[in-house]
Amino acid sequence: MSASIKVMERKGSSFLEKIFLLEIFKGMWVTLGHFWSNLCDNSRLYVRHYPEVKPEITPRWRGRHRLTTHDDGSVKCVACFMCQTNCPAKCIMIEAGERMDGKSEKVPVRFDIDLLECIYCGYCVEACPMDAIRMDTGIFSVTSYDRESVYMRIDTLLATEGAFDEKEYKKGGA
Amino acid sequence: MSQLDILLVLLRVAFGAFVPLCFIAALVWLERRGAAFFQDRAGPNRCNIFGFRAAGLVQNLADAVKLIFKEDVIPGHSRHKFYFVLAPLIVFVCALVSFAVVPFADALVIEGKQYLMQGIPMDLGILWFLAITGFAVYGIILAGWSSHNKYGVLGGLRASAQVISYEIPMGLALVSLLAVYGTVNLGEMVHFQGRLLFGFIPMWGVVLQPLGAIIFIVAAFAETNRTPFDLAEGESEIVAGFHIEYSSMKFALFFMGEYVAMFVSSSLIVTLFFGGYQIPWLATETLVANARPVALLLLVVIPIAAALFSGWIRKNNKSHYDRPKDPRVFEAKVYIGLIWMMVIVLEAVLAGYWLYAAGGAADRILVVLLQIATFLVKTFMMCFVYVWVRWTLPRFRYDQLQKLGWKMLLPLALLNIFITSAVVVALS
Repeated sequence: MSASIKVMERKGSSFLEKIFLLEIFKGMWVTLGHFWSNLCDNSRLYVRHYPEVKPEITPRWRGRHRLTTHDDGSVKCVACFMCQTNCPAKCIMIEAGERMDGKSEKVPVRFDIDLLECIYCGYCVEACPMDAIRMDTGIFSVTSYDRESVYMRIDTLLATEGAFDEKEYKKGGA
Repeated sequence: MSQLDILLVLLRVAFGAFVPLCFIAALVWLERRGAAFFQDRAGPNRCNIFGFRAAGLVQNLADAVKLIFKEDVIPGHSRHKFYFVLAPLIVFVCALVSFAVVPFADALVIEGKQYLMQGIPMDLGILWFLAITGFAVYGIILAGWSSHNKYGVLGGLRASAQVISYEIPMGLALVSLLAVYGTVNLGEMVHFQGRLLFGFIPMWGVVLQPLGAIIFIVAAFAETNRTPFDLAEGESEIVAGFHIEYSSMKFALFFMGEYVAMFVSSSLIVTLFFGGYQIPWLATETLVANARPVALLLLVVIPIAAALFSGWIRKNNKSHYDRPKDPRVFEAKVYIGLIWMMVIVLEAVLAGYWLYAAGGAADRILVVLLQIATFLVKTFMMCFVYVWVRWTLPRFRYDQLQKLGWKMLLPLALLNIFITSAVVVALS
């Protein structure tokens, strides 16, 4: 199979192009067209009015984390430390305790994520053997006036709901 | 000096000083919203006072407050602190003072006395402008050098090399223009442009000197350090060039100086090539003789223009997303109300003139006001061209810039002088 070669036509060497002026006027005509149509009707602007109109988030988007639960509301996490070990930013801090309800041996008594350290790589989600941590909340804007409120603890992580239904989330490849 | 003399001197100086300053706000707004519209964006339109955004003009206030309250840094490693402080002053003052000789209306004749309508009534004209704008580059060079910063020095060097290369074609383009007009006085040049060529084309500089106009406009872009010739700043190459070490109001002075320079060179281009304050086909004497019909025409035209403008506001000033009781619709209603109030005041003044004051000095004043409006509209259009070019053309490479200056503009300017002088000699 021979490689297909496309010879590009070199522009800019003809006399008319070398004196610039004609090409400049052509370019200015194009930009003026944009200006004029936007001036006459500013609904034509390619703009999302952001704080009021939110962007659409797909299920594959890695947003803020949450911890999932079993159907009876108990924590899925078994405190295996896989996510903490995998985390390249070292933003997850787990403290394990004994589990009493018989589902497993361990349960996290402390599960902190420092979102200021987090780089949203999603390795924790991939590492988790229990599907206990997910990034499907659809929260993309993590901002605050103090550090404390972006330091996620286990209760906040458990309280956050996923933004997508199970089918949509699985379609994303999880 | 009579009281009238003093009043008119004050008015003219105030016009010469404050109109460029007011244009800073308008031009910064034009630049930012214009840039946005050229690129299909919205531009700064959120800043408001009680929900009134004035189409984004309020953003200027926020910018000014920010710049005033920023820390004013003088770098500790700089050994020339005096020059460091002096540089932005030179840039700003030179830009402002060079407007003083541009006539913004025809001479006002009241009780047989002539009052020249320019900041400083003198005959130097174009020479004053060349001298002062040539001086302004010292500010840029000084800023770059006294910052004691590599990027600053590079920016200053580029600015000086650029000004040297482009003042020559600019001056030569002016030489052929002077051969046509036969004077250096800007007022007389505008008088000249009030005549008609072949009886129906306004004898504007751009008609008589098309090549000279192109050369002059290109050189003026280079003189004001605007894209495509903003190599002295060159954000992508030398960060911010000459003003890299400047912050707070010192930076703001450079910034405002740039916009004043843009306004002044626009006004000069308009004066030299686009008839200055002249309304096409209506010379001053024609206007004074027909002041009453002109006033009648204005009485009709102003409400029509206001109706079109308020229709445009009503159409565009609304939120483009679901919003209960859209506050922007209310805002638009207030603006439209204000516009119609202004129309009523104008109509009342014009009607008063029509009924009581027509003839005599009032005619002259009406004509002067009309000419000032024409001059400002033309200058604003030229400033728009500056913005338009900036957001269309990429920056020249340094060698391309010098090649354009020395190998193209300079020979063309010389050719233009040759042709012009041949024609002038043949016709005289």
